[in-house]
Amino acid sequence: MADLDATFSSFAAERGLEPVPGLALGALTPLLVESKHCQVSPAARGRLAGEVDGIVGHLAYTRNRAFRFNVALVEVPASTALVPRLFCIRSGRSTRDDEFYGFEARHSKLWTESTGLNQRFVISVSPFQDPNWMRQLFSPALIDYLATKPPADFSFELAYGALLGSVEDDDPGADGLAALCEATAHVATRIARECEE
Amino acid sequence: MQINRTGVGLIALFALLGLAMCLGPALLGADAETSLIVGSTGAIFVLVAGGLAWYARHARAKAARQDWIFENGIKGSATILEVGNSHTTVNEMPLIKLRIDLDIPGVGHTEVTRREVMPVFTANRMSEGLVLPAYANPENPAEFVLVW
Repeated sequence: MADLDATFSSFAAERGLEPVPGLALGALTPLLVESKHCQVSPAARGRLAGEVDGIVGHLAYTRNRAFRFNVALVEVPASTALVPRLFCIRSGRSTRDDEFYGFEARHSKLWTESTGLNQRFVISVSPFQDPNWMRQLFSPALIDYLATKPPADFSFELAYGALLGSVEDDDPGADGLAALCEATAHVATRIARECEE
Repeated sequence: MQINRTGVGLIALFALLGLAMCLGPALLGADAETSLIVGSTGAIFVLVAGGLAWYARHARAKAARQDWIFENGIKGSATILEVGNSHTTVNEMPLIKLRIDLDIPGVGHTEVTRREVMPVFTANRMSEGLVLPAYANPENPAEFVLVW
């Protein structure tokens, strides 16, 4: 834990972020809901990358076994009206190890022509989405970016304007946090731009 | 709600195990009392599998109907007037009671109530004044899909 605190402190200092011991983010996305108190600790807030502000923190919880994620949370408020829920989760990732339910809230699996993207991620959206808009969002440039550039375990959840990028790692180091923030900011910028159009 | 792979697996497990328990003792030559006890338990398992399969089929039919309304319906808006928690959960998801002002072009405003099982992160976002898209059946505007 001391190493993790040091990682976040040095990362915050490097990037000019405000370090905070812990923050309760609220039940904004499915991953945050897994953790009872939705709390990240340690954490830092400020400009994550580019023009994107947000919070980066360490999310740890136990559901039969310990799960440790590093997450970056940014807001894309305009997305709520266009794509309320969009989940792009690394294939094979599990976020719980105790209870599995046979029925879940309805969602649609998003189909893309990219083999690389389909191998790496499971992408789902809320039902009743405009397919043309989704095709524009998942442009060849975004597909290529997601399939090749982000950290290996990177996943993101967009739910009602809250975008949570995450990687599962005990201590990713300052470089790992930087890569997480860059990837989350890139996705946030792309979604925000498409919402404006 | 929709069934997932875990659900399919559970139905298959209950059905196969139930059938094995119903038929196994008799096939293996167990005495009548053992066959009755194990067979009764097996029958319950088969009933559970049947119930889950019925629910999955019902959910699929409902989803198909909603898809039809989405594709053929009139797009309007739904303003949430009141959010009530029923304090009931289904698979860790709360059952939320919504009082809604439904505004469908050509039909006008209608106040309706809707009960929806929602994930926690969705239920948290439901608040008074929130405007959500809605699609109404053109033949029966009272039948509508709330997009959340």
